Amino acid sequence: MASTPTVADIGSDYNRRYGFHDPEEYFMRTPKGLSHEVVEAISLLKKEPEWMRVFRHKALDIFLAKPMPTWGDTERLSSIDFDDITYYVRATEKQEKSWEDVPENVKRTFDRLGIPEAERKFLAGVSAQYESEVVYHSVKEELTKQGVIFLDMDSGLREHEEIVRRYFGTVIPSADNKFAALNSAVWSGGSFIYVPKNTEVAIPLQAYFRINAERMGQFERTLIIADEGAKVHYIEGCTAPVYSSSSLHSAVVELIAMKGARIRYTTIQNWSNNIFNLVTKRAVANEDAVVEWVDGNIGSGLTMKYPAVILKGERAHGEVLSIAFAGPGQHQDAGAKMIHLAPHTTSKITSKSISKGTGRSSYRGLVKIRNGAHGCKTSVQCDALLIGDAARTDTYPTMEIDEDQVSVEHEARVSKIGDEQLFYLRSRGLKDDQARLMIVNGFIEPFVKELPMEYAVELNRLIELEMEGSVG
Amino acid sequence: MASRPAVAAPELALDHVAALSRAAGEDAALLAIRERARALLTPLTLPDRARHLWRYTSPATFLPDGDPSAAAPGDVGPAWRLDESLSAAALLGGGGLRVIEIGADARAAGVVIEDLHRAGVADLLGRVVPAGHGFLEAINTAAWRGGVLVRVPAGVTLEHPIRLRLVAGALSLPRVLVLAGEGSSFEVIEGHVGGGAAARVIGVTEVVAEANANVRYGLVQRWEAGVIGHLTARARVAAGAHAQLSLASFGGAEFKADVGAVLAGEGAAVETFGVAMGGDAQRFDHHTEHIHEAPRTTSNLDFKVALTGAARSAYTGMIRIAPGAAGSEAYQENRNLLLSGHARAESIPELEILTDDVRCSHGATVSPIDPEQLFYLASRGLAPMQAARVIVYGFLDQTLGRLPQTTRERIQALVAARLHTE
Repeated sequence: MASTPTVADIGSDYNRRYGFHDPEEYFMRTPKGLSHEVVEAISLLKKEPEWMRVFRHKALDIFLAKPMPTWGDTERLSSIDFDDITYYVRATEKQEKSWEDVPENVKRTFDRLGIPEAERKFLAGVSAQYESEVVYHSVKEELTKQGVIFLDMDSGLREHEEIVRRYFGTVIPSADNKFAALNSAVWSGGSFIYVPKNTEVAIPLQAYFRINAERMGQFERTLIIADEGAKVHYIEGCTAPVYSSSSLHSAVVELIAMKGARIRYTTIQNWSNNIFNLVTKRAVANEDAVVEWVDGNIGSGLTMKYPAVILKGERAHGEVLSIAFAGPGQHQDAGAKMIHLAPHTTSKITSKSISKGTGRSSYRGLVKIRNGAHGCKTSVQCDALLIGDAARTDTYPTMEIDEDQVSVEHEARVSKIGDEQLFYLRSRGLKDDQARLMIVNGFIEPFVKELPMEYAVELNRLIELEMEGSVG
Repeated sequence: MASRPAVAAPELALDHVAALSRAAGEDAALLAIRERARALLTPLTLPDRARHLWRYTSPATFLPDGDPSAAAPGDVGPAWRLDESLSAAALLGGGGLRVIEIGADARAAGVVIEDLHRAGVADLLGRVVPAGHGFLEAINTAAWRGGVLVRVPAGVTLEHPIRLRLVAGALSLPRVLVLAGEGSSFEVIEGHVGGGAAARVIGVTEVVAEANANVRYGLVQRWEAGVIGHLTARARVAAGAHAQLSLASFGGAEFKADVGAVLAGEGAAVETFGVAMGGDAQRFDHHTEHIHEAPRTTSNLDFKVALTGAARSAYTGMIRIAPGAAGSEAYQENRNLLLSGHARAESIPELEILTDDVRCSHGATVSPIDPEQLFYLASRGLAPMQAARVIVYGFLDQTLGRLPQTTRERIQALVAARLHTE
């Protein structure tokens, strides 16, 4: 994949490749601002069942009643103007059946994103979300034969209402936090995946997300259910055009791993620097289940994202592996939560962050062990790399341990690129910037090696781009 | 993301501040400091519990029942028989100070131990812990009664420690100010004892270490059961100075401590070592802070907690490295040993690093006794109970081993005594 010219070029011309935006062509968009009328309009337009309409309205009431968070980057959070956001935009009238039917301007977007034609054929269902609705969606025939459901969330609700109704909002209720309530009220798009018992999805399922309209919120809603003994890897990658005013991205992702199931959820998040990325991601892991979040945060102005695993069944395992890159002016407030409810559950959090220029990265995490959950083991490791004397890093881990027969470990390290390291690499003939890049690449290597190859290549390119001009 | 709004607090009466100040023989400057602190408390706003500092303990717990400025002086503090070599000893109880002893050497060197009310050092009070530090510090600043000034002149080295004993009454608001002159070197131990069911303590200690001073400050809390108390002990450490803060928590029903240092001058160094042993239904909430403000400052923190019964401990620690503090190093370690199924420990070791030229790390663990260690000791013929004691002692001793000898021996004895009563 690395040799594909389109992929190889990713990151080499950020503004042109990612900063473009097509003229807006919309069949339907709601007026700016949030109200019960807007929620009603969204629900009506989607021809949703009554329970979902009620669910949205209740969620809006919760959103309006809840105060803004008083922790985190409150200064930036308070600059969000909820009345200046378009909550629903639909790009095309109907769900496209095949690639040929996808409108030209949308195709152009994907081309410029650098998704090679060939890659689409290799990969399983490429569910590309353009604006708020999924415009292109193809599921490989084998998946359908296996009984795997892979749809956008709206179609999922239409075609598999009984499953959706049973699980929707059970992991993250609307009242969980202000932004989960917002998403519950105005959600649109996202993925719906159901993997039947003892079914293994051999190839990763992927979706590309993209925000296009200025000041338009994107509120995708993803629900993944892996039934007993099932196995699935879902990959989500995001890019967005560079715009002058702020956009809000507030997704809700719910994962349910039944007994013995295994879910891995990989994200490379690369929003442009004016975007607020306020995401709630949570999984429930039942007996012997494994849930892994692999989470990369490169872009956005402010990210607040703390993927969580509720370890509900005995011997369940949760893992979060994340990297954050905070360039000048960015704040990556990311972390992880592990809630151990059952005995012999295990979890591991590995968080790596790089702060450059005036960038700030924060690790904010929670490990909670309930009384009676004996034999749990959990370890948290945070590494921060600082580049430049104005860079900032914070570590805010929280450990709440209500049981004695457990082992809990937390470690954090903060460092800069060492002069000895640079000296050594220079003595081997590397230039300063090459040496720095090599050190940074080495720092994030444990994360990169968990990615599928095309993502690893893309990430390395992005890091290379971010590192440009960091010498001196 | 739900936020908990600041709790609406009951009114706090502080009607007798002027009378208190007059009765204690204070000057006008000291009264002015009290009045400013009182102004901060009207109206009384309790801190937001969304912040980590008050996440595990309700601020209202420590509010006095009545008007703290009206508390009448209680009985004279109990007798205290000295059985060790000391440079100086002072007893603070019943709202008053009794200087027990100032050794001849210390006296000759110009060491001062005196009543803080009358010491005329208003200009030095509140420099390390201003009234705005928190609502409890403001209450103490407005209504403290019974205070001691310890002043060790520049260049003086004391061979023996200075021991302060603070005896808790029904409501105690003690205040301690330690001034370490340039290049001075000494050890001061502040021991808290006494109290009883529902006794309240709100104490504030300030330590000022001038350039190149070497101060070993120990805070040993062994109140009687039932005491509800909050102690703040903060140091300001100038260039080239070294401060060692040790903390040992044993007693009381509910104890919250705020211990820390500002590394204000280039090359300042701070070490904080602490142990806490909780049993029954005791609740401990310790907060430590190391604030690096100057270049090439170093700090090290090691805090150990062992809990039995249904005891609960919360630890929050902050290391902050300010933008100008290049070349600084900071290490922080918190380990918790849970010896019963009902014990509970919380740990939040936080870092805020605002410059890149630093070396910084922290670690925290919560675990039960390692069964392999128990097995090993059992194989050497130790009964499980004995083995557990040995392990807990060893666990705490790693930290205690780094304390100056007198403080270490004192705390080791207390740890041993506690282990044998569990």
